[in-house]
Amino acid sequence: MLDRRSLLKIGAAAPAVAVSGGVLNQVRALPISGGKDFSPITGMERKAIPSACWQCVTRCPSISYVEDGRLVKIEGQPNSIRTHGVMCSKGQAGVNQYSDPDRILHPMRRVGPRGSGQWKRISWDEALEELTGRLQKLRDDGTPEKFMFHYGRMKASHSKLINTFLANYGTASKGNHTAICEAAKWTGQELTWGKHYDNWDFDNTRFVLNFGSNVLEAHTNHVPSAHRLIARITDHNVRLVTFDVRLSNTAAKSSEWVPVVPGTDRAVVLAMCNVIMSEDLYKGDGEEFLKYCKVTANNAATVEEKVAALKTHLAEYTPEWAEGVSGVPAGKIAEIAREVAMAKPACIISYRGAVASYHGADTERAVQMLAAITGNIDQPGGRCKAVGASWKYPKGPKDKPKARKLKIADGLPGAAKLPTHHVSHQVLKMIKDGSHGRPDVYMSYCYTAVYANGDVQENIDILKDESLIPFSVNVNPYYDESAALADLILPDTPFTERWGWEDMVSPAQIPEYYIRQPAVKPLGECRDFADVCIDMAERMGFPLGYKSHEEFVQASCEMTPAVKAAGGFEYMKANGVYHDPAAKPAFYSYKKVLSPEKYQKETVVKDPQTGTYWDWKKAKLESAEEALAKGYLKTKGSYKAYVGVEVDGQVLSGFKPDKVNLSGLFEIYSDVMKDADLPAMPSWTAIPEYEAKKPEDLILTTYKHAAQIHSRSANCKYLTEVFHDNPAWLNPETAKTKGIADGDAIKVISASGELLTTARVTPAIVPGAIAIAHHCGHWEYGRYASGKKAPLVEADEADADRIWWTSKGAHPNWIIGNRADPISGQLRFMDTVVKVEKA
Amino acid sequence: MTYHDRNISRRDMVKATGLGAAVATTAVAAPKAAKAVAAPGHQAQYAMVIDVRKCIGCQACTIACKTEYEVPLGKHRSWVEAVEKGTYPDVSRSFRPRLCNQCSEPACVPVCPADATWKRDEDGVVVINKDDCIACGRCVEACPYDARFLNPVGGKADKCDFCLHRVEQGLVPSCVNTCQGKARVFGDLNDPESEVSKLVADHPVTVLLQETGTKPNVYYIDADHADPADARFAGQYVRVDTNRPVEERR
Ligand code: SF4
Ligand code: SF4
Ligand code: SF4
Ligand code: SF4
Repeated sequence: MLDRRSLLKIGAAAPAVAVSGGVLNQVRALPISGGKDFSPITGMERKAIPSACWQCVTRCPSISYVEDGRLVKIEGQPNSIRTHGVMCSKGQAGVNQYSDPDRILHPMRRVGPRGSGQWKRISWDEALEELTGRLQKLRDDGTPEKFMFHYGRMKASHSKLINTFLANYGTASKGNHTAICEAAKWTGQELTWGKHYDNWDFDNTRFVLNFGSNVLEAHTNHVPSAHRLIARITDHNVRLVTFDVRLSNTAAKSSEWVPVVPGTDRAVVLAMCNVIMSEDLYKGDGEEFLKYCKVTANNAATVEEKVAALKTHLAEYTPEWAEGVSGVPAGKIAEIAREVAMAKPACIISYRGAVASYHGADTERAVQMLAAITGNIDQPGGRCKAVGASWKYPKGPKDKPKARKLKIADGLPGAAKLPTHHVSHQVLKMIKDGSHGRPDVYMSYCYTAVYANGDVQENIDILKDESLIPFSVNVNPYYDESAALADLILPDTPFTERWGWEDMVSPAQIPEYYIRQPAVKPLGECRDFADVCIDMAERMGFPLGYKSHEEFVQASCEMTPAVKAAGGFEYMKANGVYHDPAAKPAFYSYKKVLSPEKYQKETVVKDPQTGTYWDWKKAKLESAEEALAKGYLKTKGSYKAYVGVEVDGQVLSGFKPDKVNLSGLFEIYSDVMKDADLPAMPSWTAIPEYEAKKPEDLILTTYKHAAQIHSRSANCKYLTEVFHDNPAWLNPETAKTKGIADGDAIKVISASGELLTTARVTPAIVPGAIAIAHHCGHWEYGRYASGKKAPLVEADEADADRIWWTSKGAHPNWIIGNRADPISGQLRFMDTVVKVEKA
Repeated sequence: MTYHDRNISRRDMVKATGLGAAVATTAVAAPKAAKAVAAPGHQAQYAMVIDVRKCIGCQACTIACKTEYEVPLGKHRSWVEAVEKGTYPDVSRSFRPRLCNQCSEPACVPVCPADATWKRDEDGVVVINKDDCIACGRCVEACPYDARFLNPVGGKADKCDFCLHRVEQGLVPSCVNTCQGKARVFGDLNDPESEVSKLVADHPVTVLLQETGTKPNVYYIDADHADPADARFAGQYVRVDTNRPVEERR
């Protein structure tokens, strides 16, 4: 709750309050921007509770406003350095998650055949007795791995707490969702600069070059990035050039939109690198940065050797060649390449549009290379190593069982060579395949496995099949397409009734600590799943050491030095956010010179091949000799033992590796890729499906709209009122060859199936492509999403009778296969070859 | 009686006692922050400047307005239009956030047979007294901008009122508060020092349907006023999308 003190603080942050002697001064005070709200009906002030959004992964700090015990309004947190108090439409619609009449308010047990929609209400005791009974048996039998946990939007304190539960139970059979999101990007980054997350320092940039990011509509760090970018381009006349298949709103706000054939951005990036190297435009900051790069097999190569290697490797990727692949005129590629090289600094950004395709991880590597040779890595105005809050938290019991796992998270054999974020879209396929075992209990959380992955029919068939999945539990505030196929539904609270701490990336390069507080008590019998985990652990005899998620958050606030110093839990409850006002933005982390104590230790050796200092003890080796004999690169998991890297005779923190053994240099040439029989340098690799494509075939791509999150917001009535239909975009030239007119019914046919939809004929898309938005075509998820009430739901809402839209759109995932980028495992949402005809 | 009605009756009372309109409202809740209401003797004209260059079409304003008032589905106090036009690859999309213009010559006011709607002297906001409104719908018809509707909840005429309940407490309107691009700027046009006054003075601005003579107080910087009718003459592709059920633009 906002106390008086914090209110005054918010007030003070606004322009001067000009009141003298109770009479308003002639100089009129400017209105303050937020932190308060009043009822338009009664005029009474609404109760303000600092919290955090959890619609999308950005998790913006927010304020919940409560009136008569009801959550009525959500606004941004004006004291947040990430958002400056603004919010997107999805965040504003968070109240709809709370008020959705189709919320599941009680545990439900299936009574008819699986998927028949027949349920009965049961008590929490009954639900947890059955569930923990099954789990306990698996644990007692020594097969805890047969409990599989498949999660989607889980992060921060929820992730820590729930993972503590799973670890103490003893299962490591976990499926995530990153491969349907941006796994290719993270893998590409892990292969170049270690730990993932790039932050784009728009505040300080002079030029933004964008490959496939729709940052103004949707992004991992949407509001914090978007509001900065638009300010930068309008207030500071910074140019934004966007390469995209389609005129997204981001492309529309760009100085230039450059249409590109789907899945071919990498060709453009390589050609830009070619121009920069062949015209010697790398000189200056790029050349300086090459000192920290690995560009050949030899980690100790000189800058001259690195330049020569780049020139040789890139020679074939001329702009003329790239034009043939991408459709972007050679002259345009060269022009933009020169511009990005001259702009100091330039921010080169990339997202799913460029990477959710064949060899997408290599596209991200190519973008990293472009940023490196133009000297735009981790410096003000560039592509930076992200910073976020580092919370301390209760770790749970000391003695954990050794966790066991089913090896089903990384896809079918051969699906991906370096799936550092797993191949979640093939988890169900792996269960069907059975060669690596099957779970007895499959539980999914914050995840619409059926709807969010490709090959929807196959997902349904597998989840319905009791011989493949004997017991299926869905943790969910809503009755979505996956919940409909469960045996047991545990009613989760929407985020509006959860506790939590958050640590998402701060675009200010200064960490922001913030918490989520429930606006109101959970409705019905809903329980935050984190609390349910604490309860289940207790029931199975391994208590986690805290009684509630609230207590966990409280303990974290008191354990985290920065937060504790600010006033701990009480301060966070009153203010919601905290950042160190004296902190300076963090840049150039790789340049930090290590103090000798860090690497002149008995357990630390220098790897002669890579120049990497690493701790053999941490790598679980016996001695320095063993470490030297095995070598850093050949020791499994040696990245966890990384200490630093030698550059020019100095030991630096370098680029700390994560998930794969990186030297600590910025790796344009990758030993890991080479060892996996993949291109060592970012390269063009022909897309097999395109090679076989007929001239009349089109390429299907997907996109997100500003007013929906990917798959969990169609129940928000106000969002679905804005965006409920997704006709397929076709260029007029393309449409003409097929005799398709605007508004025509069309059929889109892929190797996975057929989809009926309508055409939106628009010049805002490249010829030869067809773009279909996500979010639509739900067949469950309550009345606003699908027109169907959730079972056993009695609640009514007058607005349900006012639904005025007649089409709910078509969901493209029915015809998008669960095909993986062979490097990262990323689902290839952007390069499905299809036939399109008038229906 | 709603919050506004109370203020409105106070205004009537003030009028009746001949004190004039320049009385700062004693708000229902004790004001804790700066107040943006008129200083004694000052007649404000609240206005909004929408800098379309900064609008990213995120629809946060639409939803903020919807939740602030629990506006029923199908009705809008505020909405956003997107104007897409051009020939591949020279295509543009520009956004046009919409709301009541709080016109200085409001077409909606004189048609009201019940004297239930008027432009406030103290701040220029066009308001509706729901108690007096007889739900005849004439103002809804008369507004050339489609800014009014009969609210299915209560049945009376409704529209944007610049979030008076917030503004009178020193807060910006809800849509302004959330605007990602800071494209929506709110203030007093009669105060030469206000941001809106400066923006209007420093930029070429436009209003919607200037020819109707309603004298809007919502100004646009860099708006694209193209509509599909233009396409017919120019042989050009122009498409205007809106998130309202009403397809055609008014
Ligand atoms: S970007 Fe929007 S949806 Fe995502 S967390 Fe922020 S406000 Fe919520
Ligand atoms: S926009 Fe329409 S409703 Fe608003 S004041 Fe003008 S005429 Fe009246
Ligand atoms: S000023 Fe208030 S009522 Fe008007 S559009 Fe904005 S949020 Fe809606
Ligand atoms: S909130 Fe602002 S940026 Fe977003 S659509 Fe509305 S006016 Fe445009």
